[in-house]
Amino acid sequence: MKDKNFITLGIESSCDETSAAVLREGRDVLSNVIASQIKVHQVFGGVVPEIASRHHLDNINTVIDSALSEAGITLKDVDLIGVTYGPGLVGALLIGLATAKSMAFALKKPLVGVHHIQGHICANYIEHKDLKPPFLALVVSGGHTNIIDVTDYNHYEVLGRTRDDAAGEAFDKVARVLGLGYPGGPLIDEAAKKGNAHAVEFKRVFLEKDSLDFSFSGIKTGVLNYLNTQRLKGEEVSVNDTAASFQLAVMEVIVAKAVMAAERMKKDKIVLAGGVAANSLLRKMLKEACDRKGFELYYPSPILCTDNAAMIGCAAYYKYQAGMEDDYYLDAYPNLAI
Amino acid sequence: MNILAIETTGAEASVAVINEKEEVFMETSDEKMNHLQNLMPMVDNLLQKRGMVIDDLDYIAVSEGPGSFTGIRIGVSTARALAQALSLPTIGVPTLQSFLYHVPEYRGIICPIFDARRNQVYGGAYRWSDTGQSEEVVPGGAYDLEELLEKLESQIMRPKEAKELTTPEKGEEITFFGDGILPYREQILKWQDSSLNDNIRVSFAEDDIMLQKASSVARLALVIYRDGGGKSLYDLKPVYMRKAEAERKLEEQTK
Repeated sequence: MKDKNFITLGIESSCDETSAAVLREGRDVLSNVIASQIKVHQVFGGVVPEIASRHHLDNINTVIDSALSEAGITLKDVDLIGVTYGPGLVGALLIGLATAKSMAFALKKPLVGVHHIQGHICANYIEHKDLKPPFLALVVSGGHTNIIDVTDYNHYEVLGRTRDDAAGEAFDKVARVLGLGYPGGPLIDEAAKKGNAHAVEFKRVFLEKDSLDFSFSGIKTGVLNYLNTQRLKGEEVSVNDTAASFQLAVMEVIVAKAVMAAERMKKDKIVLAGGVAANSLLRKMLKEACDRKGFELYYPSPILCTDNAAMIGCAAYYKYQAGMEDDYYLDAYPNLAI
Repeated sequence: MNILAIETTGAEASVAVINEKEEVFMETSDEKMNHLQNLMPMVDNLLQKRGMVIDDLDYIAVSEGPGSFTGIRIGVSTARALAQALSLPTIGVPTLQSFLYHVPEYRGIICPIFDARRNQVYGGAYRWSDTGQSEEVVPGGAYDLEELLEKLESQIMRPKEAKELTTPEKGEEITFFGDGILPYREQILKWQDSSLNDNIRVSFAEDDIMLQKASSVARLALVIYRDGGGKSLYDLKPVYMRKAEAERKLEEQTK
């Protein structure tokens, strides 16, 4: 491996963003091109897998071209290809995988498959050049809610996970019943800023004492019940108040469990990752909690919170540094465990 | 001049190379429906067995569809990425038409049908002309089986054709190919028996030539190449022949 200017090409296509990125030395992002399909799926109120797959295929080659030209390199300069191999939509994953495998084969370059969630965590290495494991990671996104003990660049232990819906999923569903639209995360965040978070007391679901797991299907039902009750009583519902109260109920549980996990694992750093890491209330509450406990809090800028290939390239770099490499049999794993 | 041909639109994946002397070599997967995993190792094996390296390739051809949506995408994305990495042009090969190259000596009509679910098939009908050109009898598309059979019948009963029907084996024999044979065999035989056209004789392809094959994709790719049909990878598109289910439903609702 060259010591200087080691170039990684990252490819991500696990859900509804087609992305390619070029990194120097694992953390230095030369380009990070993201073709989002949000507008395509908005009319369906959520991601349609077949349509997502079709758009990934339409976009992937030009996204890679843009990433290369923005970085001022050609494919021949690439030293490593990293690609998301799960979890995600299988039809979407395979576009990135088939592309990455073909390119690695044709260019005779090493190939590394990356776990999408590990990628989200690695987004923080890009944002914070001094950040090193060990730390506690909190990953909150449309598909995942995980508390993870990160002991090394390639060692992850899941301490807590959702038993039903992911936090982001609950946001999407509640946004739909509130008539806010899709995707729910940013829309609820916006509406909540104008609402009273204590207007409705939704139940906080902590599960068993000491459990680091989550459950968000109950609060979604709670919101529905509240809306129906109000409707039956003929009382007006404030969308902003409901959004704010729902959001606070979710975030209180997440923040409490993250802090509990950090204390239990004796970690003084908490790293936030995933699409919901862009949520302003989560950032504020977690920051306040970390300040109280004397923990350091890290989170990526919004663009690195969304699904992107730079984080995948970064994760691939650290796997490759540790001697991990995949062969051309690499497959897609929609339910890949961490 | 070497063309690599990729076939992943059906249950069995295969890859082949063809050169200008029309020599074809094929590698087939013995595993069904695991194309993403097996495709690149298959290409690797094929090249190694032929003593070739990847840089010996001049064109990347792919069976463009119809077929399994996922299969089509694995093939097209692989072909495009190889072409992108190697700076090569591509060739999109119509999957249904490639079946003609399964039976280069055959004088009847071939009719590949793929099970498209929702009581439909992706199908078309083709034959070799007297001068050895491939001719389209029914254009490829997503059809209800009855609709496809009606189109076939009307083509066979064309007046111009009727005169030639005195010569046996001139086009009234129809051989069906593809995985659509399995669910529709009985229905096709019924159609033969009930048809007003006594000249229609139906047969079904033997197992070993029933499904898509990269060797035939390679042969048709060579013909397309000779006709100047090579194209940039950015113009290489999947041929689904059907909209996504959610899109279709949405259009129905908004009608």
